[in-house]
Amino acid sequence: MIYRKRGCVARWEHGRLVVVREAGEAIEERGVFEVRPIAGEIDARLDDVARIAKPFRHPNVERLVVSHGVAEHECNGVRWREESRRLHIAMTHKQHRVLIDQAGFDYEEFLQIAGPFLRAGVERDAPPRIRLAPNVTAALLPHLVGVAPPNVRLMQSGGGLDGNGEEIQEFCVAPGATLPNVFRPSYRIRPVRMPLNLRLESDVDVIDRDMPVAVALLAPIAGLMLRVLVVEIHRAYPSTIRISRIDAVDRDRTWYPYGAGAFGSEIML
Amino acid sequence: MERRLSCGSAVDEADQIVASQTIDSELIRACDAELDSLRDDVDENARVRLVATARRVRGAVMTEKTMTITIGGVSIVGRDASVLRRALEIPKTIDRTDLPIIWRDGSGAVLLHEAIGHAAEHDAAPVTWPSWLRVNDVPRFAFDDVGAPAKGANLMTEPPQCMRRESFRDVPLRRMTNVLVRQTRAPFALPAKSIDVHLVAGGAYDPLTDVVTIHIAASSAGAFTFRRTRAEVAKSLAGAKGAPVVYPGVICSREGQELAVGSAAPVMITE
Repeated sequence: MIYRKRGCVARWEHGRLVVVREAGEAIEERGVFEVRPIAGEIDARLDDVARIAKPFRHPNVERLVVSHGVAEHECNGVRWREESRRLHIAMTHKQHRVLIDQAGFDYEEFLQIAGPFLRAGVERDAPPRIRLAPNVTAALLPHLVGVAPPNVRLMQSGGGLDGNGEEIQEFCVAPGATLPNVFRPSYRIRPVRMPLNLRLESDVDVIDRDMPVAVALLAPIAGLMLRVLVVEIHRAYPSTIRISRIDAVDRDRTWYPYGAGAFGSEIML
Repeated sequence: MERRLSCGSAVDEADQIVASQTIDSELIRACDAELDSLRDDVDENARVRLVATARRVRGAVMTEKTMTITIGGVSIVGRDASVLRRALEIPKTIDRTDLPIIWRDGSGAVLLHEAIGHAAEHDAAPVTWPSWLRVNDVPRFAFDDVGAPAKGANLMTEPPQCMRRESFRDVPLRRMTNVLVRQTRAPFALPAKSIDVHLVAGGAYDPLTDVVTIHIAASSAGAFTFRRTRAEVAKSLAGAKGAPVVYPGVICSREGQELAVGSAAPVMITE
């Protein structure tokens, strides 16, 4: 199998703009995976990521990466083009760090997290009932593979093409199921069979919006334990929650760049 | 089996870096020669990763090569798999992990790579270290990755002086190159009971909490995690003995950029 990729990306990172143009191919034959550069560039207009980064450059921001990339792929006689926008922010306050990842440059979503984070009080026990914001749910979804609670369904969302140019199938990610698609985050990485564009479904979609809400992650997720920033009426605080049961899943979804992609929706625990 | 070739150039301008793919036959030949020199040592019964890099900065060609050997999820950067096998066969003879630790086989360099080196990269607040301790970054190449002459650094008082990047696609960062820990007339009294550490699986320093975490892979107490603040590490350093012993390498990851960092330290004690 031969896979080729030509791409360019503009990235704002550590206060510098980096523009990268490259092309390469990955050949997998008789168990050997070989990668090498090839000739050719694509012509694409890239976002002014330095300008986009400006409003996010808050003094408490420890790490800021803003990128826009365009890539053309070719595999098994199929050609396709992809465009991706990514925002990663790590922001600190006192002894805490909040992590923000988006597939766009949504300043309002940033403010909805940064505001409560910068006024967060001391650590508290998690409330008995809580909602997870879509960005938190999306980060959780890859960790639910094989362990999703019985009252919800973890689905791979059909549509688009996978890392081998095959159609991404609509698929229920049940424990032990053989996964039909592969993820190839870079031409330099051997494709990995894993669920793409995860989403969560439940027969119950009524969310009680008076409940406290976990608006952001304070650490990468480990298993089913989440360090989160909780907003409860007029106060905000760090807390740790454990996912054991999911009572309801909202039907509105937003895609986030976690794992091989995840559609986050508001959920109620 | 996986094989990867990547080559390109980065032009650093005032406010941006323009990186593109370029083929430099001389650099590719230099990488091939470095890889050839490693192949004879490949152990067929372990997972082995060979990496060779050649870079041209200010007209000077500099090469680096590493062999990473992994068995049972534990890695060393070195060419002798028997070193790793011996470390993994060390029997667990102690059940406690709160005893004094004897950092053997140069493993103390990993502790101080995190507690002093990374803290220096982040301009962490000063901590009082024992007067007998010296920790320096000693580059082994002529120019760093932005074309400046490679300069050593006293990591106890200043950050590393070299800018490094994993590839032409990456932003240069102030990074360690080769951590050399030395002692001058340090005390050294073996405790009655202690844990001998031989191999480290990984480590981290969090500038936010000032906490150093070391995941120990092979010791007389088995695998365990050592976690202390930097001030606690400094206070716990109770002694050292002998000349620096070369530790079988560190692949240091920061901001997603993996770089080999040399490491050497004498036998050291923390209480």
